[in-house]
Amino acid sequence: MKKFISFNLTASIFFVLGCSGPSGSPGISDNEILIGNVQDLSGPMKELGKLLPSGSNLYLDYVNNNGGVHGRNVRMLVEDAQYNPQKTVAVVKKLIEKEQIFCLYNVIGTSPVEAIRPLLEESGVPLIAPATQSGTMSDMSRPAARYIFHTDTGYDIQAGILTEYVIKLDPNAVIGVIYQDDDYGDNVLKGIEAIEYELNISVQKEAFQRGATEFSGQVMNLMKGGCTHVIIAGIVKEPIIIMKTAEAMGFSPQFLGISPTMDHRVALAAGSAGEGFIAANFAYLWDSDNEIPNLYRELCEKANVPVAMRGMYHYYGFTTAIILVEGLNRAGKNPTRKKLIRGMETFNNWNMAGTQPITYSRNDHAGAESVILVQVKDGVQQTISTWLE
Amino acid sequence: MNSLFTEISQEIVSGIALGSIYALIALGFILIYKATEVVNFAQGELMMVGAYVNFFLIQSFTSSMGAPTFLTFILGLLGSIIFAVLFGWFLDLIINRPMKDEPVFSIIMATISIGIVLRAIVGLIAGPMSLVPKSPFGGAHIQLSGIIISILDLFIIGAAIALVAVFYYFFNKTRWGLAMQATSEDPIAAELMGVPVNKVYSLVWIFAAIVAAVSGVLLAPRAAILDTNMGFLGLKAFPAAVLGGFGSIPGAIVGGVILGIIETVSMGTLSFHFQWVKEINDIIVWIVLIAVLMIRPTGILGTEEIKKV
Repeated sequence: MKKFISFNLTASIFFVLGCSGPSGSPGISDNEILIGNVQDLSGPMKELGKLLPSGSNLYLDYVNNNGGVHGRNVRMLVEDAQYNPQKTVAVVKKLIEKEQIFCLYNVIGTSPVEAIRPLLEESGVPLIAPATQSGTMSDMSRPAARYIFHTDTGYDIQAGILTEYVIKLDPNAVIGVIYQDDDYGDNVLKGIEAIEYELNISVQKEAFQRGATEFSGQVMNLMKGGCTHVIIAGIVKEPIIIMKTAEAMGFSPQFLGISPTMDHRVALAAGSAGEGFIAANFAYLWDSDNEIPNLYRELCEKANVPVAMRGMYHYYGFTTAIILVEGLNRAGKNPTRKKLIRGMETFNNWNMAGTQPITYSRNDHAGAESVILVQVKDGVQQTISTWLE
Repeated sequence: MNSLFTEISQEIVSGIALGSIYALIALGFILIYKATEVVNFAQGELMMVGAYVNFFLIQSFTSSMGAPTFLTFILGLLGSIIFAVLFGWFLDLIINRPMKDEPVFSIIMATISIGIVLRAIVGLIAGPMSLVPKSPFGGAHIQLSGIIISILDLFIIGAAIALVAVFYYFFNKTRWGLAMQATSEDPIAAELMGVPVNKVYSLVWIFAAIVAAVSGVLLAPRAAILDTNMGFLGLKAFPAAVLGGFGSIPGAIVGGVILGIIETVSMGTLSFHFQWVKEINDIIVWIVLIAVLMIRPTGILGTEEIKKV
């Protein structure tokens, strides 16, 4: 019996040592940093599930081919949770306990991330760049907030920036918002309500259900309300149908969109109805002449990334991977999860990721609070502003 | 008042167009149910497959014939219908025939599985990226007394009416239609009476696939983006079939149009004038469905079936 206990103890010690690297942290070995990514590979957002990790790997391969992070290659495990909170909990448990990842990165969706907060709190595993722009990600009063580093400007802040932009251009503007009736829309409304109070204005609000293909009722209401500017909190098909419906009805306000509408297919499919459409964006346009977009396109060419995949979502994976790698760099030569958190908290107006400048501190994990505006002109998206806060 | 009338009329017209799409999908449910008493929960996915086939046919015609013309779209539609005939026959072969004598519940489960498999296969073949389908009519629309209706919507309404009329005539006035009804009532007795039951089953799956393909072809440009989630619309059309009277062909269009109008008007004028309506928009359809079923359990045009045991 004693022998058995002794063997088990020895095996356990070897197991723990085997799982922990030279720095004593799981997921770190002499030549590798293992990170976990949870995507939707077979559910309703599988398009993003394909694009985001592909963009991230494009940058991680570039880093690994150039010596890695302090001599270690970064390897990313991608798990499928189908955008489902329960499945996300299960696969995150697997990544932490079985795969022994160093940190999580890019877990997709507001509800899935909310569901794993207790796991993050319990394990102390940091989550870098959750793939959702919900402002709740950087709410420091929520559980496990100290482990989550948001990289995107929240939908609530975006809604506020767009409203303020409109009022600055036209103080007499009548603004309407048409929003998806879920977490995303709720966060947009939170921002709208805050800016209504701040500017002492009233914004007309119209909701639609996720997956809707008919918007004539809401468009007519916006027309009845005399809206001169309409903010669309949809994804891709909603702005297309809304703007086409408005055009057919002879209703021509200035349409603006929260960042998920910043997809080049909006301009492509909306045609003349989408001309002039302004969308908020989290980064420089992927095809613009800036340092990081230039590097992105160069690497896309080298890696033969299909043209259809290049665009804002693929670029999102690329840019958030830059932030992740910078954080890993700042965690030092012998990284631990605590060192990663401390390293992330040293970002100060850091703008080397081709996105808005990123700042973190011990009490602020929002990362970014600004957007750049992009407008469709002659069917092509063009940047029309600097970073707006 | 005049303005309010125009607004509500506009919403009703848009609701009829939306309801016609529900009606087309519901028609597919009803066709299979009428002949086999099976609810095909893969009907939405059949529509999605039809839309994808049409998209790739148009794309290939465009690459060989140049910019898409009306002829390209017609060829695409015909190609999709031919594919639907083969696909419907194939589905009958792999689902219906092997499971013919199994409990209806098992066949329904099989159709749910087929739906999931179809979404996965189409995703694998077409890739994860959503596609941007083109409408043969572009953004063309007409205006009648201030009410605007797109030509595409007119076609959708026309297609729903035409297909419902054709299948109503077929089921009630033709030998094959009566054979289908007899098969549904009692397949063994029908077979003894000389009805080729297997052929009846094949035919009804083929019809359902054709209806699905036509609705997919028409819906894709209206939805602006084509992806495998399109199949989930089938779940919205199911209450339309129940509301109209499951098993009643005209009931498909009645149920579809009522749901379409309720959805559009409640999201529009009702929400504009009564804030609280906004809060119940997503359940209003179900409230109406429950209310109708409480008064008429068989749906609006459904008839009570009495079976001898």
